[in-house]
Amino acid sequence: MPLRKGLPVKTPSCLCDADQVVCGLLSPSSAAVTDHLQTSSSRPHGFSSQATWEDIGDGPLPSVHTMGHNDVGNPLKRRTRCWGIYRRRYNNWSEQISSGIHPSSHQQQDGDPATNGAHMSTRVRYAPYAVPPCHRRGNSQKQDQTQTNMEGEQKPPERRMEQEKQDETTGKWFKIIIPFGIKYDEKWLLDLIQGQCSVPFTPVEFHYERMQAQFFVEDASVAFALKNVNGKIWDEANERISIFIYPSDTPHSVQKELKSVKVEQTKLLPSNLRNKTPCQLDGLSDTVQNATDIKNLNLSNSEVMSLEELDEGKSLQPEEMTADRSTLCTAFPDKSTNICSILELFPKLLRLDSQESPSPTSVGIAAHKWLPTCRGSFFGSDALKRLVLQFLQHYYLIYDSRDRQGLLGAYHEEACFSLAIPFSPEDPGPSSLCEYFKESRNMKKLKDPSLRVQLLKHTKCDVMRSLCVLPKTQHDLSSFVVDMWFQTERMLCFSVNGVFKEVEGMSQDSVRAFTRTFIATPISNYSLCIVNDDLFVRDASPKENQSTSSVPVPTPSCSSWPTLCQKQQEMGQTFSTQSGMNLQWSQK
Amino acid sequence: TREEVVTPPLPEQAASGSLMATSVDFKTHVDQACRAAEEFVNIYYETMDKRRRALTRLYLDKATLIWNGNVVTGLEALTNFFEMLPSSEFQVNMLDCQPVHEQATQAQTTVLVVTSGTVKFDGNKQHYFNQNFLLTAQSTPTNTVWKIASDCFRFQDWAS
Repeated sequence: MPLRKGLPVKTPSCLCDADQVVCGLLSPSSAAVTDHLQTSSSRPHGFSSQATWEDIGDGPLPSVHTMGHNDVGNPLKRRTRCWGIYRRRYNNWSEQISSGIHPSSHQQQDGDPATNGAHMSTRVRYAPYAVPPCHRRGNSQKQDQTQTNMEGEQKPPERRMEQEKQDETTGKWFKIIIPFGIKYDEKWLLDLIQGQCSVPFTPVEFHYERMQAQFFVEDASVAFALKNVNGKIWDEANERISIFIYPSDTPHSVQKELKSVKVEQTKLLPSNLRNKTPCQLDGLSDTVQNATDIKNLNLSNSEVMSLEELDEGKSLQPEEMTADRSTLCTAFPDKSTNICSILELFPKLLRLDSQESPSPTSVGIAAHKWLPTCRGSFFGSDALKRLVLQFLQHYYLIYDSRDRQGLLGAYHEEACFSLAIPFSPEDPGPSSLCEYFKESRNMKKLKDPSLRVQLLKHTKCDVMRSLCVLPKTQHDLSSFVVDMWFQTERMLCFSVNGVFKEVEGMSQDSVRAFTRTFIATPISNYSLCIVNDDLFVRDASPKENQSTSSVPVPTPSCSSWPTLCQKQQEMGQTFSTQSGMNLQWSQK
Repeated sequence: TREEVVTPPLPEQAASGSLMATSVDFKTHVDQACRAAEEFVNIYYETMDKRRRALTRLYLDKATLIWNGNVVTGLEALTNFFEMLPSSEFQVNMLDCQPVHEQATQAQTTVLVVTSGTVKFDGNKQHYFNQNFLLTAQSTPTNTVWKIASDCFRFQDWAS
């Protein structure tokens, strides 16, 4: 994928719905569909339900964002991972980047055998937070030697020169932060940056910290050049990569290095470590003077201490504890989709405006405060979506009609129903929800065990009786947001969120918001039978309260649930477990 | 601190047919469900707020979470998800529960738990939320351990 220069950032398909808030489901008209595909801060509510029996199953369903379980087929997943806390030196960076190359593409990296260490090959085990033990920053000097030996391309003389240079210049250091850089392979990222950077830079202490990639550079001119790279690089998913520069103290490893170089320069013997097995922690402990000097401790072999000990930081006092994550990593290897799919949930980090320069604290801390983007309805599959929407349309048509008895056929013989309204201890007085109040089974308020049993309506008849005495309503189907959150062969659980208006009685025209959870079993090929029904009613918020002018309620052409033969009910056909439903279900 | 939701052992199931055939059975199941739900809600939100890393112990291995329309499946993904979610302060002001009918669950004792309240995630404004759980019972002779089979969470103002 070529570098995009100056083109607008496009959202990749996998994240395309991050900003698209789809809140409506059913819409009487296509115009309303367009409305609902916009952000919903001022959603007009049409309180009419124009759906008739003829529409059901035939009418156009607006495209609702559905996020399937396998929503990870995206470029991010394919990125190779090579995490670690170690230092890299790019002396001849220009050799690695040539004109016309597209650093953002892993294809380029494929073709480069020398640097192909961790790319696209099965030998790379995905271990997001693991650090190859030999790269542990116990003693930076010796570690660096090990690093040098392992990589083979580093030159000790160059390194020594660099040390001398560091000796001479006090050097101003800068911390470079790439928010969400955790997604990117280190080499890939650094190559990409270097490709846009007008001067060569040497990243020091490259590491991943929470969601970020960070490293240090010396020299203000280098930092300035890197600052100019901000917003000029994109990843494979066409997301702009931001770079932020902050003045910083001399990095810790450099400090230590300077100290040891001055004192013990002659004691530098790479051969000492060459013979050591890289993974022996106790071997390295010889070189670790004092564990508490280690600021950033990353234990990839976390058998060293238990999670609880790490939790309380008993043995060590590192400034950053990443051991817990590495514990997770070693416990759950080879799941590259794992982190990736989780990271997908936090795409807001990608949206950092390159024009902004957030403070270091805000970048550092704020990254961890971002929540996943909220999305609209979730269904397991298109077939299930059709089934559920059809059910809901049907259900509310009758529910909003003059006689809710028509719903008798929708409920199982032994169905349960209960309803609750909010309870706030500081305001326990009667609210406008008084018509629901006496039926409310909010266990936060209701403590009497026998009352709790009593208010849970059981059996079809009791349920119907209860439903029929609730205030008459008009639901806004276009406001419905549905989460289908559990499914087996014999059961479907889904929750409906939406608003309705009371159309008569003391609270006429009051707008209420509700969440109704249904648990249903399949009956025949196209119908559901409710076994559990839990309704939560609250006052609508001001935003939810917005509505267009009220529309007269049409008379439904069919006022009862379709009757089904006894045999079909008894058979209790099961759902197909193959990716939701058989097509058969939806075709009927 | 507890990271398990434990209640007294379940009553012996009726040998034949529906567990809810008689009203006595039903009442027992309702009591059982209420006890589990209350115990669960206390532990869940306290763990979420104060011992976040232990939260996934309350979930079944294959549990699913639908969080504001985002699906998170399996213990590994859940672990990472809860790790990345900012720290939280939950306040529950509604709790309701129902025993789930055995026809739906194939005799795997299950409780539907519905909650609502407010939550403040660090760095974010406070939200009203709705949440539902399916709790499923794992019985031993001495007690019943309840785990989350499925979890559905949504801000009431998720769209704004």
